[in-house]
Amino acid sequence: MIAGAWLCLFAPLAGTLAITVGGNRISRLAAGWLSTASVFVAFGGAAWSFFGLRAHGSEHGALSTAWVWLQAGTFKAGLSVLVDPLSTMMMLIVSGVGGLIVLYSIGYMDGDDEERRYFAYMSLFVFSMLLLVEGGNLLILLAGWGLVGLSSYLLIGFWHERPTAVAAAKKAFVMNAIGDATMALAFFVLIAHSNSLSFATSFATAGHLSETTVNLVALGLLGGAVAKSAQIPLHTWLPDAMEGPTPVSALIHAATMVTAGVYLIVRTHPIFEQARTIELIAAGLGTLTLLVAGLIALVQTDIKRVIAYSTMSQIGYMFLGAGVGAYANGMFHLLTHAFFKALLFLAAGLVIHALSGEQDMRKMGGIGKVMPWTRWAFLAGALALVGLPPFAGFFSKDAIIAAALHDHWYGVVLAIAALAGAFLTGLYTFRMYFIVFGPTAGSDTAPRSQTHEGPKTMLVPVGILAVLSVVGGWIQFSPFWHPLTNWLSPVAATLGVAEPSNTQEAIASVFAVVLGLAGAVVAYAVYGQRRLAIPRVPSLQRALEHKLYFDEAYDALFYRPAAAMAVSFRREFEEPVVLASGSDLGEGALELGQGLRRLQTGLLRTYVFFLATGMAVLAVVFLVVK
Amino acid sequence: MILVWIVWVVAGFACLASAVAVVSFSNPFYSALALIGNLGSLAVLYLLLSAEFVAAAQVLVYAGAVMVMFLFVIAYVGPRLETPWAGGPGWQSLGAVLAAGAIFVEIIVAIALKAGGRLKHSEHVNAPFGSPGWIGRLFLTDHLLAFEITSIVLLVAAVGGVILGSHTRRRETA
Amino acid sequence: MLQGPGIAWYLGIAAFLFATGALGVLIRRNPLIILLSLEIMLNGGNLALIAFSRHAGNGAGQIFALAVMAVAASEVCVGLGLVVALHRRRLAMDVDKLSELRG
Repeated sequence: MIAGAWLCLFAPLAGTLAITVGGNRISRLAAGWLSTASVFVAFGGAAWSFFGLRAHGSEHGALSTAWVWLQAGTFKAGLSVLVDPLSTMMMLIVSGVGGLIVLYSIGYMDGDDEERRYFAYMSLFVFSMLLLVEGGNLLILLAGWGLVGLSSYLLIGFWHERPTAVAAAKKAFVMNAIGDATMALAFFVLIAHSNSLSFATSFATAGHLSETTVNLVALGLLGGAVAKSAQIPLHTWLPDAMEGPTPVSALIHAATMVTAGVYLIVRTHPIFEQARTIELIAAGLGTLTLLVAGLIALVQTDIKRVIAYSTMSQIGYMFLGAGVGAYANGMFHLLTHAFFKALLFLAAGLVIHALSGEQDMRKMGGIGKVMPWTRWAFLAGALALVGLPPFAGFFSKDAIIAAALHDHWYGVVLAIAALAGAFLTGLYTFRMYFIVFGPTAGSDTAPRSQTHEGPKTMLVPVGILAVLSVVGGWIQFSPFWHPLTNWLSPVAATLGVAEPSNTQEAIASVFAVVLGLAGAVVAYAVYGQRRLAIPRVPSLQRALEHKLYFDEAYDALFYRPAAAMAVSFRREFEEPVVLASGSDLGEGALELGQGLRRLQTGLLRTYVFFLATGMAVLAVVFLVVK
Repeated sequence: MILVWIVWVVAGFACLASAVAVVSFSNPFYSALALIGNLGSLAVLYLLLSAEFVAAAQVLVYAGAVMVMFLFVIAYVGPRLETPWAGGPGWQSLGAVLAAGAIFVEIIVAIALKAGGRLKHSEHVNAPFGSPGWIGRLFLTDHLLAFEITSIVLLVAAVGGVILGSHTRRRETA
Repeated sequence: MLQGPGIAWYLGIAAFLFATGALGVLIRRNPLIILLSLEIMLNGGNLALIAFSRHAGNGAGQIFALAVMAVAASEVCVGLGLVVALHRRRLAMDVDKLSELRG
């Protein structure tokens, strides 16, 4: 069980190292298969841990420390992995979906100049994410957190000759860094009070902290979660991150990295439960993001951006679930979301790959005729996303809405907002489907004779994910059977306030399905059949197209003042004082040298004179001293 | 007694005058001749100090061999007349006089301060003091190392002289 | 019994010789004359050695003086070799002009 966890952690790292060391000596295909194999081995390790834990009983989680990683005075943190229900679940998701996506990449990235670097980075990312979820104490979690940010930066900016990609990578990294900073501050407070970052000690300490302190800690953790999961207000990096290759978007910005925030909240829920307000703020932010992202997705023309905003929106659901205390529901939605979101990205990738990099939806119309397999897969993903039974999203999304309904009056407000979000989801998802795969050709389309389905290595993962999107939700249908909630209960028991009654479940499910279906139908009418036209509200449209002016606001608030400060510092301080003192020192030394140079007359007599004078002076000194 | 004083005054005066002459003549030939005079007067002074062997060596080696070599080279190189105080940076002449004067004064002062009282009475020495046999015995017993090292120094100098001298010849054949 | 002036007078002459030799080295430009001045300095040292040897009744001073004489001879040999080499290469016999070590 523990061995499985260590294997799972280090297999992708071994893959990265092997590809890096191999360099140009291994073929590009070999690098791809090496990376894929390493991730699948990790999946094997994860499965081993999972079944081992199941055999022992899920309340018997185990912590295994390899060695003391950091020691400062009495503070110690070890390199430890934790095998418990939550971590095994995440391990399976990360390595399983990750493996499928890396396999898909072999076909997608075929022909790229720097394939080996890509696969090395992919394995590095999987290792980082596994480090994050397997971390046995908060410090290892933070290490994984940071490494994941790094891998994201490397992969978003993979095509580094594109200035937009480089800018997007930097933006993602900087925004994540803000989250890292708040998290670190929270950890400092914890260390100050408990001198340890192990889970058990930290959670126990949280109970003894004053209210402001624990609120600050929770706020710091929330900051990190919000940054990593691209929730408002730290969300602007996610759409730009679509500059990376599509498999990267699928893995990092749909299935795994962005869900790390949710994982963090669920993992540290004892701290959040002491700061209930902050937890509810998390739920509120999630709901807000849910709505805003859904609205913005309605006007996007780039297929990957639609899916990105959809991701933002769905993670809002997860935050809502975790925020009200329904941890298992939040994690369940994480699981199903990983399946269908990765599926959507990969299917979109098939289309993009077939059209040689075209990402504008308006140019993709009518492609369903030539790529039927992709079309069905995409449809499966879309149905799962909207949450129509019996697809996966139905089971998980409705459970969240139901849990919110139960939780006091603000829960009802959040639930209503979430239901509105369900309508929006149906609308933008099927808008996307009908524009891309609809029967009518798009406005400016290229001749389609050349396009065909992708290679087997790309189709197989898509197929597997499509199947999972259909059946993946059948693992839990609360309140009738809920093995997942039972599995997670030792570490993340659902709060009492978030356990809905059967009526609430029913109401939530019915409304969600109806609204989702309504959205789909409207989309069909507008984009499929062209029978309806959406009324134009130019100002609203413009606001949505500018993503509600968040980017412009951040630019004015943060970037401009910082840049102005930097320029004025340089002008006022650095150039006159710092640089000038350096050059003054140099000039002074030169002048001294020139002065001394006059002594070097090159004449023998001068040197002898100095000898004689020196001797005379020394003689006087000796006479006087002795 | 009086004779000793007269000899001393004459020899001393010759020594000082010839030293000044060496430094002041513009013709190197005359300077070399003055140096020979200096060496001769020094030999007389050594005799007065009971250093017979050293006096003889001074005349034979110094005045006889070294100065002859000097005169050969001066004759070979030819007359190069040159005024003593010319050339060099302005401060150099004044500085040189000051430095030399300072050295002279300091040596006198040093001796006077440190050993003034004790220089009055010299030791009484026997007849063999300063004789060749006595020197020889000292060389081969107490100061054997100095003897050997001196001979090595002479060897090295001889080799160096040959090399310096043969340099151009090698070049001419090449 | 030392007849004539005391050792101090001999030392005075030695000091004068040394200072005069130093002056000659400092103000002359012809390398030959510089070598001659060096000889004067060495002789001044020799005189001091002999004087002290007589004063202390110790033979080491005379031995050392003989060694100095040998060294002076060797040095003159090498120095004159240099002068001859200078002459052969048609270089100026003027230490002021031989200033390639000028900084």
